[in-house]
Amino acid sequence: MIRRIYAIIRKEFIHLRHDWWLPAFMLIGGAMELLLIGWATSRPITNLPLMVLDNDKSSASRQVVTALENTGTFYIEGQVNEFEEIENALEKGDIIAAIIFPQDYSQQVNSSNGKPTLAVILNGAESIPATAALRAVEGVARQLGEQITIQRLNISQEQLAGFSPSLRVWFNQALNEALYTTPAELSLMLEFTILLFAALTFTRERELGTLEGLLVMPFSSLEIIIGKSIPVILVGFLDFLLLLGITNLAFGVPVRGSFPLLLILVLIYILVELGKGLVISVISRTQHQAFLLVLIVGMVDFMFTGYAAPVESMPQFLQIIANVIPANHMLAITRGILLKGSGLSALGLHVIALLVLVIVIGTFSFRFVRRALD
Amino acid sequence: MSLRHIRAGTKKEILHILRDRMTLALVLITPTVLLFIMAYALTVDLRDVPIVILDYDRSPISRDFAQQITAGDDLQLYSMASTFDEVEQLLILGDVKAALIINPDFAHELLSLQGLPLQIIIDGTEPESGGFAVDHIALRAEEFINARLAESIKALGYEFDTLQPIDLRIRSWFNPSLKPRVDLIPGLISMVLGLPALSVALTFSHEREHGTLEQLLATPISRLDLLLGKMLPYVFFGLLNVVMIPLVAMAWFRIPFNGSFLLYLGLSAVFLFAILGIGMIVGVFMRSQAAALALSFLVIFFPGFFLTGIFFPITSMPEIMRLEALALPGTHYAIITRGVFLPGIGLEVLWPYAIMLFGLGVMFIAVAVLFFRKKLA
Repeated sequence: MIRRIYAIIRKEFIHLRHDWWLPAFMLIGGAMELLLIGWATSRPITNLPLMVLDNDKSSASRQVVTALENTGTFYIEGQVNEFEEIENALEKGDIIAAIIFPQDYSQQVNSSNGKPTLAVILNGAESIPATAALRAVEGVARQLGEQITIQRLNISQEQLAGFSPSLRVWFNQALNEALYTTPAELSLMLEFTILLFAALTFTRERELGTLEGLLVMPFSSLEIIIGKSIPVILVGFLDFLLLLGITNLAFGVPVRGSFPLLLILVLIYILVELGKGLVISVISRTQHQAFLLVLIVGMVDFMFTGYAAPVESMPQFLQIIANVIPANHMLAITRGILLKGSGLSALGLHVIALLVLVIVIGTFSFRFVRRALD
Repeated sequence: MSLRHIRAGTKKEILHILRDRMTLALVLITPTVLLFIMAYALTVDLRDVPIVILDYDRSPISRDFAQQITAGDDLQLYSMASTFDEVEQLLILGDVKAALIINPDFAHELLSLQGLPLQIIIDGTEPESGGFAVDHIALRAEEFINARLAESIKALGYEFDTLQPIDLRIRSWFNPSLKPRVDLIPGLISMVLGLPALSVALTFSHEREHGTLEQLLATPISRLDLLLGKMLPYVFFGLLNVVMIPLVAMAWFRIPFNGSFLLYLGLSAVFLFAILGIGMIVGVFMRSQAAALALSFLVIFFPGFFLTGIFFPITSMPEIMRLEALALPGTHYAIITRGVFLPGIGLEVLWPYAIMLFGLGVMFIAVAVLFFRKKLA
């Protein structure tokens, strides 16, 4: 039996060697892509174009502009004199925010009970950078407000300090974006690689009409499934190591927890995704179909990993679905082991969920594929 | 270029697509389904973020404070911890996204105006929820202080107003409450329309894999006509989605559509030519469908998601990536869709992006034809 399985594995690898673009794109291409995307997106939002309409033209208003620039969030797109110019720039989408100083800004700042007004207009058509701009503006306004209060009331910094809570951040000490975005991007790439590879195994043979040939050979369906699965597992594993190496070397994502534990859990995860991929591969008639199904399944999974929106905030029924999405548990495990150094005890529930899923999905897909082959 | 030849190619492709109903259905519905999924999952408004509170003070004031913090539906009290170990455990397990620690002399310091000794610990592996928790705790804390201390501050001769001297007036145009959904859905159209491009890439490599491309080449149809003929059905399918998506966006997600529908349709067609051009290049280049698929992922799907400025602003990217973003049709198209949906601007503003799209489209198709000549000469 082992010899026959080995024969199938060899056949698969001959395929891969023959069509070497496929593994090249999947492994090297995927790794390069992670590098590029990680590099481009794993940074704080900076350099947002800001337009200034300064009707006051005083040192007080200039101080605000400098403070905004110093946050690093903005660069000054331009000083304008007419509100219309702001309107145009916002409509064109050239700027994310505009700040308007009224004529009496400095007068209000310097009077003992004045209330200087700062008008800020945000470009809601790009809500993510606009929200970052909002945060930065609020921060600057708070600082300036404190300064003004201290001057006016002649009190000390400490007396004011009572009105802001202290903040201490754990785990991801520097709040470095790479540390939390890249593990998620890694699991996305890994999932698609495995699903795609697995989904193409039988579809391809069927489309090209070679599946019948394989079935009449003296292989049992069990041997065919195992023989076809092992290359996928190997490729998936290699892909994971490659991607992990990149997140570690290029983005400094640490492995704080147990590395062997991570490897074992990744292996289980690969098995779950393999099961899903094989089911897709026997129900699709053409590679085109298989691919579109992979895309839908893969995106659904990705959405439930909490990459963009945490699962806790989703509607109740989506939260329940999220529990049966393997990628969701895998991302919690990856982040836990890499960033928090969690062990089995902390990750227990996710590990159990993953094990249950591998048993359920694995058995189902095995029987499904076997029936389809026989 | 001959219209008859293009039509023949198109007819063949349509026959091909119609023969396989399952694929047809998938090609038709996948973009809308994807948009639906993404709109739902990517743009959830944060609420019920679980936090844990560790109250070392245990005074009536601190209890009152703890209660007020989680009174709204933004933060949810997961539990009251009694030891720091407990807090640590919950954070490591990921059950809470933030922890609020109330110091032993909270009430005393608050009332004697010494400050508000609060510690917030957030789970840095999920800074979105953590940052949200910090903002909202701070907001509540401020409200709490204002209510508690109004009297004592007045007694000292200060007005509360003087403590917040700056009157910050913020307005957000086009999307007053800054809901991500409102601009992400128009932006994501560019991404899901990458799907017809993947289909084009697959049909080409399909012909090569099955060895039927040689037959096509033996007909008097020119290479360009062949490419265009194969492309047209997918432009058509793409346009069906282009029409379907705003309907879903408006009817289901209540996204406004303020611009001209005709302009949107026209520019979408230009975008489809550009993105299908990329699909062509991939399809011509690759010998097997699997490899074409893998390459499509790398050049159409992932960049379309991450690098077109839908999620992450292009101005914040490194210089080189900004250039790459300019070469992606999705970048320009996302600006167009957002512009047409939200501010409702017209061609007088959007023409530079339309020209870029058109230029990219011509370039990609030219490259595809060139490769096609060379590879199969």
